[in-house]
Amino acid sequence: MTETAAKPDRRLAIRESWQAGDVHAATQTARLLLLEQPGLTNYRFLRQLLTGAGPTASGLKPLRVALLSSFSIEFVHDALIAFGFANGLQIDIYQPGFGQIRQEILDPASGLYAFSADVAILAVEGEDWLPEIYNDFLDANDGQGSGPDAALQRFGQDMAALLQAFRAASSCPVLLHNLAAPRVRRAGIADARLPSGQAQRVAKANAALFEVAAKVVDTHLVDYAGLVARYGLNNWYDARMRLYAKAPIAGGMLGHLAQEYMRYFRAFRGLTRKCLVVDLDNTLWGGVVGEDGVDGIALGTDYPGNAFVEFQRAVLDLHRRGVILAIASKNNAADVDEVFATHRSMLLRKEHFAELQIHWELKSESLRRIAQRLNIGLEHMVFADDNPAECALVRRELPMVTVIELPRRPEMYVDALCAEGLFDVPSLSDEDRRRGQLYQQRAQAESMRSSSGNIEDYYRDLAMELQIAPVDASSITRAAQLTQKTNQYNLTTTRYSEAEMSARLVDPDWVVSVITVEDRFGNHGIVGVVMARVLDGALHIDNFLLSCRVIGRTVETAMLAYLCDVARERGLKRLHGHIIPTAKNVPIRDLFDKHGFDKSAVDEAGSTRWGMALDDHRVAWPPWFRVSCKATAAAAVTNSDVE
Amino acid sequence: MAKNIEQTVKDLMAIVLNIDAADIDDSTSMDNTPGWDSANHISLVLALEEEFAISFEVSEFEMMTNYVDVVQVVNAKL
Repeated sequence: MTETAAKPDRRLAIRESWQAGDVHAATQTARLLLLEQPGLTNYRFLRQLLTGAGPTASGLKPLRVALLSSFSIEFVHDALIAFGFANGLQIDIYQPGFGQIRQEILDPASGLYAFSADVAILAVEGEDWLPEIYNDFLDANDGQGSGPDAALQRFGQDMAALLQAFRAASSCPVLLHNLAAPRVRRAGIADARLPSGQAQRVAKANAALFEVAAKVVDTHLVDYAGLVARYGLNNWYDARMRLYAKAPIAGGMLGHLAQEYMRYFRAFRGLTRKCLVVDLDNTLWGGVVGEDGVDGIALGTDYPGNAFVEFQRAVLDLHRRGVILAIASKNNAADVDEVFATHRSMLLRKEHFAELQIHWELKSESLRRIAQRLNIGLEHMVFADDNPAECALVRRELPMVTVIELPRRPEMYVDALCAEGLFDVPSLSDEDRRRGQLYQQRAQAESMRSSSGNIEDYYRDLAMELQIAPVDASSITRAAQLTQKTNQYNLTTTRYSEAEMSARLVDPDWVVSVITVEDRFGNHGIVGVVMARVLDGALHIDNFLLSCRVIGRTVETAMLAYLCDVARERGLKRLHGHIIPTAKNVPIRDLFDKHGFDKSAVDEAGSTRWGMALDDHRVAWPPWFRVSCKATAAAAVTNSDVE
Repeated sequence: MAKNIEQTVKDLMAIVLNIDAADIDDSTSMDNTPGWDSANHISLVLALEEEFAISFEVSEFEMMTNYVDVVQVVNAKL
């Protein structure tokens, strides 16, 4: 097999960047290596680089993964560590022997719990756990075994009991595989006509897993069946390795499994991308509008125009899932306006885009401006362009931006956009679905700000309504998501999983509330979280964050006023808080100073402690809000009519 | 141009077994190479299959226990 020239170069470049301490360049090049040349040797290469002697990892986010399986899954370790590297993660793996799932989960003294994982994966093959509906199907139907129905019922109960036992001992998220289709249909083609055939029973087993996963908090069902189906059973499994080493997954498929896990890992570590910036010519349509004219571009029902329509649909789907869209194009604005206004095959409308940079300046500059205007970190942005030179420029100038270099053939664009799942989140909240619209409201509010006379008039003109309520089942997904995603307006950047948060909801010493904001432009949904704890006669703020959508509207003042009221209601004398500085949270650092708290301590890491005596001080509610506070579980908060 | 098979095998063994390619010679075997344990042996075999787009029989896994035999088994497949 001939070698391409790029292969050794990429490895060398990664090694050099890594040893020079340039993590952005190293991870960016590792991503390119894995996109161009996925394979076991490169996975091993990256693993050796990361775990070998030499400079230690810095700038990578650690992630501890417990891998529990019904089969030998350790050959995926290289791919997990390698794709983790390319995603900015340093992955540590705990791997008990296969078939140890029950013992590890049920024994409180097991290595699993000692490892204190950030995520646990339950990788189960149907033929290992449900032989009655896989390999022993005909035996079981002949009355030889316990019967498939009994087996299915037992399976559901078994999985529920295991997950509950795990959840009682650990609060880390769980990824639970569903079951792939059987490799062999034991009854041949007749299976399709049997109401109690293998295919029907596997579907039932997966429905049972769906129910189980829905009942245990922070348990995420991995669609292993769908993953295997995408590549095909005959490619996914290697009978030789299954029988020789109890390692059924083919070597060439291990990278796909690792990448499926990465979609979750990115979300758990705040690495999910938030904004897609697209080019226009030869990206959203074929051809160059400035040369070919609106009627000359390829977009419509025939090839290649229909390929561009498909790509637009995929981009529009992302918008509907809450991804912010923007444009960076070298074009005449008038030409682009004409396409948006008159081309009948455009699925994407101008209003789907939160920011348009259409001019002849450098695209790196366009991306910087988009990041600044939308208040989104560059590391949360993806740039998609067909032009290799533009892609190379952005990779060089802005290595934290993820670049999708669209392939030559437009029918491959959708795959290029979706292959890595860069925008995937484990569950979609209402806020996610409405985010595109919310950013339009934000833009309208911003333009009003510049027309309002003074700042208080602006706040009043916004007609903001604020609701503060304890976190409950309807808000916990969003609340936990906000603790994981919010970077800028976040006092302590303490991240909580749903399970960790729900443990605090039932503790009477904890106050865990969400803030919802509505203004004259629409409902922003849940935009803030406060978590505080009663300790030694004082209320201590543990977590205090606000989405960047509503920064600069004094919502934070209202949040502090709320905490003062909660503390007074509980007869507490003081309100305490601390600020843990990060690279991102500069905007919130003056919070306590601005609101009259006293600084009591600074530690060597730069963390500051603040306090306010509530006997003679309080933070007043800003008069421009209409406020409603729902009672907390432990203490009624009655100041629903403020000022 | 394609590298010769011997060098490709050496480069691949160096990565999989975490050793220096220049240290691999005709005497290199599972017995005298600390990184070459049974788990890494399977990793090596799978990586060779991928690199050369070939497929081994299980009996061949068990023959490839030293550098010379690895090259010989790979060569016979090409």
